[in-house]
Amino acid sequence: MFGLIGHSTSFKDARLKAMELGYDHIAEGDLDVWCSAPPQLVEHVKVTNPSGKSIEGAYIDSCFVPEMLGRFKTARRKVLNAMELAQKKGINITALGGFTSIIFENFNLLQHQHIRNTTLQWERFTTGNTHTAWVICRQLEINAPSVGIDLKKARVAVVGATGDIGSAICRWLSIRTGVSELLLVARQEKPLLELQAELGGGRITSLEEALPEADAVVWVASMPRTLEIDSTKLRNPCLMIDGGYPKNLDGKVSGEGVHVLKGGIVEFFNDIGWSMMELAEMEKPQRQMFACFAEAMLLEFENCHTNFSWGRNNITLEKMDFIGDASVKNGFSTLNLKNFFQAAAA
Amino acid sequence: MVTTLESAEVALLDRPNGSLGELPDFTTESYKDAYSRINAIVIEGEKEAHDNYMSIGTLIPEEAEELKKLGRMELKHMKGFTACGKNLGVKADMPFAKKFFAPLHDNFQKALQEGNLTTCLLIQAILIEAFAISAYHVYIRVADPFAKKITEGVVKDEYLHLNYGQEWLKANLGNCKEELMQANKINLPLIRSMLDQVAEDASVLHMDREELMEEFMIAYQDSLTEMGLDNREIARMALAAVV
Repeated sequence: MFGLIGHSTSFKDARLKAMELGYDHIAEGDLDVWCSAPPQLVEHVKVTNPSGKSIEGAYIDSCFVPEMLGRFKTARRKVLNAMELAQKKGINITALGGFTSIIFENFNLLQHQHIRNTTLQWERFTTGNTHTAWVICRQLEINAPSVGIDLKKARVAVVGATGDIGSAICRWLSIRTGVSELLLVARQEKPLLELQAELGGGRITSLEEALPEADAVVWVASMPRTLEIDSTKLRNPCLMIDGGYPKNLDGKVSGEGVHVLKGGIVEFFNDIGWSMMELAEMEKPQRQMFACFAEAMLLEFENCHTNFSWGRNNITLEKMDFIGDASVKNGFSTLNLKNFFQAAAA
Repeated sequence: MVTTLESAEVALLDRPNGSLGELPDFTTESYKDAYSRINAIVIEGEKEAHDNYMSIGTLIPEEAEELKKLGRMELKHMKGFTACGKNLGVKADMPFAKKFFAPLHDNFQKALQEGNLTTCLLIQAILIEAFAISAYHVYIRVADPFAKKITEGVVKDEYLHLNYGQEWLKANLGNCKEELMQANKINLPLIRSMLDQVAEDASVLHMDREELMEEFMIAYQDSLTEMGLDNREIARMALAAVV
């Protein structure tokens, strides 16, 4: 069985969903009640791949909402409690979705392996980052030509280049895709220099300098709400892949020749009878989902019960190949720009 | 350069480790004062539990031996927690604890006299045990080394007790659901109000009210799930803790 740990995108949405599901006790509660609410296994789901193999899974809502980011201890408990529940339910491989893996990583929750009378078995969990990184790379490779960008001649900026996903994308783009120039943007200089050395190339630059130069921008760090992007200074055409969480780039840039694509999203070939993806505001919630969630399904389909994506900077090209092959084989395709979807699929 | 979310949220996400889970100073007067009440509640709770299991044995004579065993364990716990207080040089405020347990105690006695086994089991083996388990889990994280060791041993036993009531209710769920719901409606709010009463003292011991409530809800929900209640039924029951 595979598992997905997710959460609502806002407190308001969370309450509405809880009401719909009949969880009146928390639906009516204020944020304090939600801070004390246990994780909920809200849905069981069966997924069948194109060759007819079926797997079963469960969706666990951690009862975390982004409004809790200001409450450090609460956020930590939400993640650990949801993981404990997944393990107690005997789920083989569970993906940490949305803020779950960000909290896990940034709060270094590895040091909290003992939850009550449970010792968390890390091999039962995956951040799903390998699949996310692979999907974003494929989204770039598929969609750039369709808007008139030749990647061999293109400058590609990776914003958040030193993160787990960002560094994997940089590796892929420099070795597999072979872009003309890679612009490396991140907050801290030391990891940037290390990444540059590892890649044997790439130019370290600031966001302000990178944006007017880039033919394509891959965002794997979300923007602060206050960040403003002057669309007139972007290149035409310019492809922007919004791979951060939460995805809020489309509200910030628009203009002729600027194409924004939600990054790290996949579509399954068939409808999945679940209701929880509506929470993630997917356009086609019966088929579309975060690539990190899909990774748990892929690992279950492939009987690969291991923490496939774990820790920082462990994503190799070989791992991306493995998960990419599994993705295609099991009926997933990447989300593409709307007008070009048909052409790209062909 | 590029950050995620609001700056306050970023600052939080960037917060380094080590600032959490600091232990309180066990030697201060304020700690000892709060401990005198918390410790008394725990001691009284274990004593009540002993008495309650013995009483439940009179309602199901065929189980009396097993229940005696559980009761004896509770007395052992009581001694352990008494030692924890002594170790810190604290005198437990037993009159406070008696008053603290009185409403739940009275409800249990009433159910016992009326022969309402389901209500008795819900009060003792589900609500009180889940309350104890949750509080002990939170306490273990911030306890002094001596008390930590004692409490870790106790928690293991308490799961057995929770399990006992759970199994009986599970086996008899068809006949007892209505009484269970009714008893829950009356007694769960008492647990909530007990939690509110100790919140201030607990926070001196570095035990958050929010965390205590969450731990309780986890143990309570687990127990009801094990008994075979579905999500909606559990949500309806848990509502009594909220409103």
